[in-house]
Amino acid sequence: MPEQKFPDKLQELKSGAWPSFVKEIENAAQTSPMAKDLYGQLNQSYNEKIGHWKHGGIVGVLGYGGGVIGRYSDLPETWPNVSHFHTMRINQPAAWFYRAEDLRKVCDIWEKRGSGLTNMHGSTGDIILLGTTTPELEPIFNELTAIGFDLGGSGSCMRTPSCCVGPARCEWAMYDTLALTYDLTMTYQDELHRPAFPYKFKFKMAGCPNDCVASIARADMSIIGIWRDEIQIDQDAVREYAERGLNIQSVVVGRCPTRCMAWDSKELFIDNENCSRCMHCINVMHRALRPGNDRGATLLIGSKAPIMEGALLSSVLVPFLEIVPPYDDIKGLVNNIWELWAEEGKNRERVGEFIQRVGLANFLDAIGLEPEPEMIAFPRENPYVFYRTE
Amino acid sequence: MAAEPVKRVTDIGPPHYGKYLPPVVKANYGKWVDHEILEPGVMVHIAESGAKVYTVRAASPRLISVNKIRAYCDLADKYCEGFLRFTSRNNVEFLTAKAENVAPMKKDLEALGHPVGGMANSISNIVHTQGWVHCHSAATDASGIVKSVMDALHEEFTHMRMPGKLRIALACCLNMCGAVHCSDIAILGIHRKPPKVETERLPKICEIPTAVASCPTAAVRPANISGVNTVEVIEESCMYCANCFTVCPAMKLNDAENDGLSIWVGGKVSNARHEPMFSKLAIPYIPNNPPCWPEVVDAVVNIVKIWSKNAQPYERMGEWIERIGWPKFFKMAGIPFSREHIDDFKHAGLTYKRSTHIRF
Amino acid sequence: MPDMVSVAEVADTMFKLVKQAAGLKKYKAMDLEKAMRELYGDRVDKAVSKAAIKELIDSGRCVYTYFGGSYIEIPHTEAAANPQG
Repeated sequence: MPEQKFPDKLQELKSGAWPSFVKEIENAAQTSPMAKDLYGQLNQSYNEKIGHWKHGGIVGVLGYGGGVIGRYSDLPETWPNVSHFHTMRINQPAAWFYRAEDLRKVCDIWEKRGSGLTNMHGSTGDIILLGTTTPELEPIFNELTAIGFDLGGSGSCMRTPSCCVGPARCEWAMYDTLALTYDLTMTYQDELHRPAFPYKFKFKMAGCPNDCVASIARADMSIIGIWRDEIQIDQDAVREYAERGLNIQSVVVGRCPTRCMAWDSKELFIDNENCSRCMHCINVMHRALRPGNDRGATLLIGSKAPIMEGALLSSVLVPFLEIVPPYDDIKGLVNNIWELWAEEGKNRERVGEFIQRVGLANFLDAIGLEPEPEMIAFPRENPYVFYRTE
Repeated sequence: MAAEPVKRVTDIGPPHYGKYLPPVVKANYGKWVDHEILEPGVMVHIAESGAKVYTVRAASPRLISVNKIRAYCDLADKYCEGFLRFTSRNNVEFLTAKAENVAPMKKDLEALGHPVGGMANSISNIVHTQGWVHCHSAATDASGIVKSVMDALHEEFTHMRMPGKLRIALACCLNMCGAVHCSDIAILGIHRKPPKVETERLPKICEIPTAVASCPTAAVRPANISGVNTVEVIEESCMYCANCFTVCPAMKLNDAENDGLSIWVGGKVSNARHEPMFSKLAIPYIPNNPPCWPEVVDAVVNIVKIWSKNAQPYERMGEWIERIGWPKFFKMAGIPFSREHIDDFKHAGLTYKRSTHIRF
Repeated sequence: MPDMVSVAEVADTMFKLVKQAAGLKKYKAMDLEKAMRELYGDRVDKAVSKAAIKELIDSGRCVYTYFGGSYIEIPHTEAAANPQG
């Protein structure tokens, strides 16, 4: 490891049962001077308890406003090989499936032109290539497009959409999350690469209410699979679960949030009209219970992390929608939302914050949706109603 | 840069997922009917046709070298017809139609140093941000804490012996690029002091109007200090977002003495049983203590232990705390309750106890 | 139908605005679109503004920048940048 005035604290993170990121940096450092200096600077941070990066806001590839995160060391004399340490976001294939042959090509480009370090994957879903210099950005971009990859989003744009494993390997996918993700990504390439919004806008596609991609917490538009008809019950299989020792009364019926189930040791009854489609009973007894066949998704809007006006969860915008190509109803709605928010939204105001500011009812009027009781947890408690006179 | 013009290709988007699906997945796409978790980190999905796909899931530190990716690719070639995938929690997965491939694949992954697990009632991988590895506004490192916490909890990744799922997430500042705000346990880096303005240097390297405009709460304003046109920060208005530092390197927010971590508990994103919930503040401040952050590890392990000992089957952290009440949680966890725990942001009143439903 | 302003003219006007404001105010794509509407009324529409921005960026006269939000600026050296060693 590089000579330096600080004791090597990172070595302590090489042992232990969990795979070590320090070993990964060391591995890349065998051939990459950049990874070697990253080790040195990170070790200095570990000694000083402070980070040493500056934000670079201008670097990118020609024509795009996103996909590259500029980073500069604030210790360029000490660690010259990370003086520039820009990140590139590469749009991942839907549900993160890869063919090894193609993934190796990405590795070869990155070994030649970058630090050789990656994140598989970033928080939004992209492949993250960690650390390169400004002059390498264009050549990397050209080599990536030559093997069929493109940059993902960053900045005030539509961010790279992502989805759960969906129908590729899950019996609970209520719609084709991969197909919708790919379609939206391709339809909105311009919105992805050329930032024209007040702030970021994320789509996350989850196949069922278990929401394995945290769509309800992390997407401006959360599209979560759901069904409308009755849960399909195989009573023999239910009894098998009981025979094998599952305490159906306590673990399944007793944990149902709407108390819509009953079990008499022979048969399981579900009051489907009162079922909130939470998935718990299906999760526990998947061999016996299956979602219904009238399938689609709930569209929810507005979740985000705290900056600036506080964290939000997404709330219901369309209680049920069939998800069928070419997805014109979703796109029509999205276009209306984007037009309104682009025009009226403040700088750095996420769409969820925008809705809080203008009010959901006004927002619905503007995008052409009728208010529905499914959109609220409960009606207003205050009497400060702005009545509309005819 | 190259002198001769390159034929640039743009807006091609990602590769189509269709060409990256393993053959058994492609053949049974949308036709899965059931699954079974066979052992920690190994499951089988069964299709209408009777076809089966076995999945082996292994931990990854997320920050991996191209050589590690190549090692994954070699495993994919050896056992999975050249296909692999990653999960939303940064695990790596290998899918195969051949049951006989599971055991050797598991062995190879473990030999590579990647434990197999993270399914059902276990602790899956910690989703996290960049920390000191790459971020300019980080109040702490991310990878080092994740490594230290999972070194202590790895047996809960490789077993399925907890009451329910437990999801841990880490963000190195409150911008939360890894939105951690709905996790069973969230570890959140925090700054506690406004940016320090380098009065003399600032006008030489930064645009003052840009620095002023960058602040979402108008806490940065132009000032003339001892004849120098620079900026000042109204400290009460600062919420530590680092946006001023983003535009102006002479307004450093990072602070070795005062930065640190906070621990939040009881959030969830799944709709199963209880509706999704935000995580709530458990421990307001723990100082940074690299390289292994023992105080953070102890705090997380302690919370995991009391939950796993006391929660009912399938009860997530937040559901358990809701049942026993917050005062009991603080008591059981041995966490002192302090003024920082009481909300004072918008709608704070909704978080006050508005009943006599008190457990003594 | 009013006579639409050409993409080239809108791009030139946008460029002037961005150049004049350099160091004082950062324009977002929507700010430029709104400014064009104010200036040219219904002789400019969304498509023309969008094409003009694309022209400015693709020609390298302007660049997208990211400082918390995304802006359109004249290419320049930012405070944080280290020289390429």
